[in-house]
Amino acid sequence: MDFITFENVEREYHVGDNIIKAVDGVSFKLEQGTFNVILGQSGAGKTTMLNMLGGMDSPTAGRIAVNGKEVSGMSERELTDYRRTEIGFVFQFYNLVPNLTALENVQLAEEICKDPLDAKEMLERVGLGERMDNFPSQMSGGEQQRVSIARALAKNPQIVLCDEPTGALDSETGRKVLRLIRGVANDLGKTVIIVTHNAPIAEMAQTVLHMRDGKIAQMEFHEHPKSVEEIVW
Amino acid sequence: MVKGALLKKSLRDMRRSKAQFISIFIMAALAVSIMTGLDSIWFTVQNHADAMYRATNLSDLWVTVQNPSEQELWGIRRIDGVTQVEKRFSIDADTDLPGNPTLHVYALDDRSTLDQPELQGGRFHKSSGGAVLDSAFAKAHGLKIGDRISVKLNGVWLRLPIDGLALSSEQVFSLKNSATVSPDPAAYGFVVIRAGVLESVYGQKAFNQISVKTRPGADLTQVEKKAEAVIGDGLIGMTLQKDSSSVSSVDSRVQQIRTLSVVFPLLFFLITALITQSTMTRLVENQRGQIGILKALGYSKRSILWHYTSYGVIVGVLGALAGLAAGPNIFGRFLVPRMKLTFADYRVNINFGHFAAAFLLILLCTGGVSFYACWKLQGDAPAVLLRDKPPKKGRHIFLESIPSLWQKMKFSSKLIARNTLKNKSRIIMSTIGVMGCTGAIIAALSIRSMLSGLNEQMYETTFVYDQKIILDTAKADSRYLSNLGLDGVTQQMEESAVEVICPNGERKMEPITITSKESPLIHMQDVAGDPVSLPENGALMTRKLCETLGVEPGDTIRIKRTDKGYLSVPILQTAYFASGQGIYMTDAYWKSLGETFQPTALLVKWNGAPDQRFLSSDAVADAATRESQQSGLSSSTQVVNLSVMMMIVMGASLAFVVLYNTSILNFAERVRDLATLRVLGFHHREIRNLVLVENYFSVLLGMLAGIPVGRYMSWLIASKMGEQMDLLGNVTAPDVLAAGAMTLCFAWIVNNVVARKMKQIDMLEALKSVE
Repeated sequence: MDFITFENVEREYHVGDNIIKAVDGVSFKLEQGTFNVILGQSGAGKTTMLNMLGGMDSPTAGRIAVNGKEVSGMSERELTDYRRTEIGFVFQFYNLVPNLTALENVQLAEEICKDPLDAKEMLERVGLGERMDNFPSQMSGGEQQRVSIARALAKNPQIVLCDEPTGALDSETGRKVLRLIRGVANDLGKTVIIVTHNAPIAEMAQTVLHMRDGKIAQMEFHEHPKSVEEIVW
Repeated sequence: MVKGALLKKSLRDMRRSKAQFISIFIMAALAVSIMTGLDSIWFTVQNHADAMYRATNLSDLWVTVQNPSEQELWGIRRIDGVTQVEKRFSIDADTDLPGNPTLHVYALDDRSTLDQPELQGGRFHKSSGGAVLDSAFAKAHGLKIGDRISVKLNGVWLRLPIDGLALSSEQVFSLKNSATVSPDPAAYGFVVIRAGVLESVYGQKAFNQISVKTRPGADLTQVEKKAEAVIGDGLIGMTLQKDSSSVSSVDSRVQQIRTLSVVFPLLFFLITALITQSTMTRLVENQRGQIGILKALGYSKRSILWHYTSYGVIVGVLGALAGLAAGPNIFGRFLVPRMKLTFADYRVNINFGHFAAAFLLILLCTGGVSFYACWKLQGDAPAVLLRDKPPKKGRHIFLESIPSLWQKMKFSSKLIARNTLKNKSRIIMSTIGVMGCTGAIIAALSIRSMLSGLNEQMYETTFVYDQKIILDTAKADSRYLSNLGLDGVTQQMEESAVEVICPNGERKMEPITITSKESPLIHMQDVAGDPVSLPENGALMTRKLCETLGVEPGDTIRIKRTDKGYLSVPILQTAYFASGQGIYMTDAYWKSLGETFQPTALLVKWNGAPDQRFLSSDAVADAATRESQQSGLSSSTQVVNLSVMMMIVMGASLAFVVLYNTSILNFAERVRDLATLRVLGFHHREIRNLVLVENYFSVLLGMLAGIPVGRYMSWLIASKMGEQMDLLGNVTAPDVLAAGAMTLCFAWIVNNVVARKMKQIDMLEALKSVE
């Protein structure tokens, strides 16, 4: 059964008197437990897609269903609950709460989820067992991103959404982060969607959605996606 | 136009943070208006009073003596420091007007120049048979120049044509006696006549006072001492200008407001500085990059500093101007005429020195603080400024050293605790604001309950009579009084004013009351409310009078008796009288001192209806019901109610502005963090609590801190109420709770307003904007 379904999804924005179609009639299906990449130049509409899938934004037309639930048409409150239980986010700029330690940032998840994973264990998994009591300001960018991944996964969500997770990192650190995302998500059986403009990353995905001008220009399937080590960028 | 561009930038920046800048403006305007407003009140009163004292040539000392001789007059004239002496006659007299008001009669010699009436119309003829009447009294009774007024002196009715209307320096705050609290021009006034008029009453010119004018800076204690030696046994008493009823009442009001004008505005200046500090620090932090760009473009350090300082200066100047315009107008124009002081006009005088001081002070709190806020940043090189600002640091807080507590806390509590403790200046600001709010409301409420408690203490607990009857002593001798046969409980009293000399040398005219030991209709109490009885071998002095005179129980005072030298009287007991201070002793003790007991007043508690036959008899000069005395006191508290309202409104605006500001700052600083949480699936209510719980924390702290502040303020106000009133300045639990409830209610309203504003902001938008 299809886990994620987009049917003729549109998203319009009013900017002054102009109407901008950020997403223009997108349809696709993704399966559970897969590793996917949305690829495109900036302005192609990929972040808007991610936002709609993550319940941060609603389509102006079309239908989005996740795990049998209609996401399009949810109320504000339902969307919050959906984000709370179904979605884990990893941001380009990590967005850790500066006033909380690494451990506490992950424990955030425990507070709001029905079925969270152990925060300490998650931090150990991302290799930060020694740095749990550090504040974000005391950590490097890569370490912060790893905390962010631990936080996203500790919520035990169905879907992990990553918006340019390597965008602010050097290539070596970026590689580590990607390996981590794929490794942990695989172990836990999570569906991962990464948004990026970085074409080589797409080679490690099972499904690649190429976006251009709000439309899907091409869908690419890899029977045997490459490992992180094989990618060059 | 370099300057034009920067000016435009500052105006636009200010518009973007308009809530903050409006708050600074409001606080600055409040600070300046309260300071200059209160200042203008006392300054106006002081100036009007001083001008009047000068214009009427008010004496510095009055020596009361029966029929002073020319020798005595000359004796006092020769005392070092005395520049002028005159005889006059001064006495209260009945009138035949409705309500039986009393007029104080001043009879002056034809050539007199001291203690003159300040004419408002008509003339004060030399050697005339006419009178100059109190203009407020005339207005209250609809009397005009040319009408006639009747006064009863020594049992003789004098019908006098009104030649003029005037004010008197001795009746600016015009009280009939120590039992009255508030001036009532319909019940009490004054009339000035020429001494010659008295010939028809006393068969000759009569005098009972020597008015003494001294050189400025003369040692009045020495003058008093020497005057006493000159007069000897004939001396009834001496009153210094500063101790005279009206002058001292005016003084104590001036002092009262002067104290407030220093203490009260301080809080508002402090809040202004704090709000400016937090607003400008944030603004400058946010504009790091822009400062870098301006520097890179070649703007000098000076012009950048001035640019950011100008934000504070512009708001400060605007606030100060609004405050300067509003303060004297609102406070001065509104309150001065309502202080029950009789002046020719109530034109507000402005103390320009303090005006300038308020202006400079507020500039320091706004411009100075803004300057300081951007001082740190402008020193960095443009390249440093153009780089991203270093991430905010998280820090461990002391709570974490108590693991048992910290580990049990929920993450949201941890977040709130860290955030709160990290931003101390914000917490301090809101705590001070709430403290001021709670303090002001506690003070306002407790002043109100103190005054209603005063009414209760005097006219329900202490005085339990139905009527106080003033006797005509010529008709009501002791035989007459012992055969009255009235149906009810009665108590006889002899009331007079005597000169009291304290162990420390202080001398003052004070009321003395002699009555029976049992005292069935006056139930004296101590401060705790336990009954107190009159001592058998000494006198009782009311608590506040002890304080005023510096007398303690066990001390012996001396009382001046005309023609008999001094009586030494030990003070053995004190009692708490909320209003109307004095000395009390028993008739038996009074007689044991060799004096006679001649009742001047009769208290009655009727068993049935009042005995009208007795009340209309010749022996009764005046009768007042306890209810009328009580309502006289209540009417004087109306002004207080007004100021109570003003204090509550000011307290509320303080809490509103400060809490609103700190919440918005708190929210704006963390909008990205909060947006992240929102994306992670936190509900609006949970996010809202992260910001607003902090407010309840500072509200709680502020309320606790507000209790001592409120206590101090009510004590300060109570202690400045004048010598007649003995307010304890106690703050009661219900008032504290009510003030706390009101403060909480304000905080709740602010939180809801902020919550609504938070909902309006699309946090996801805030999150995206960074990328």
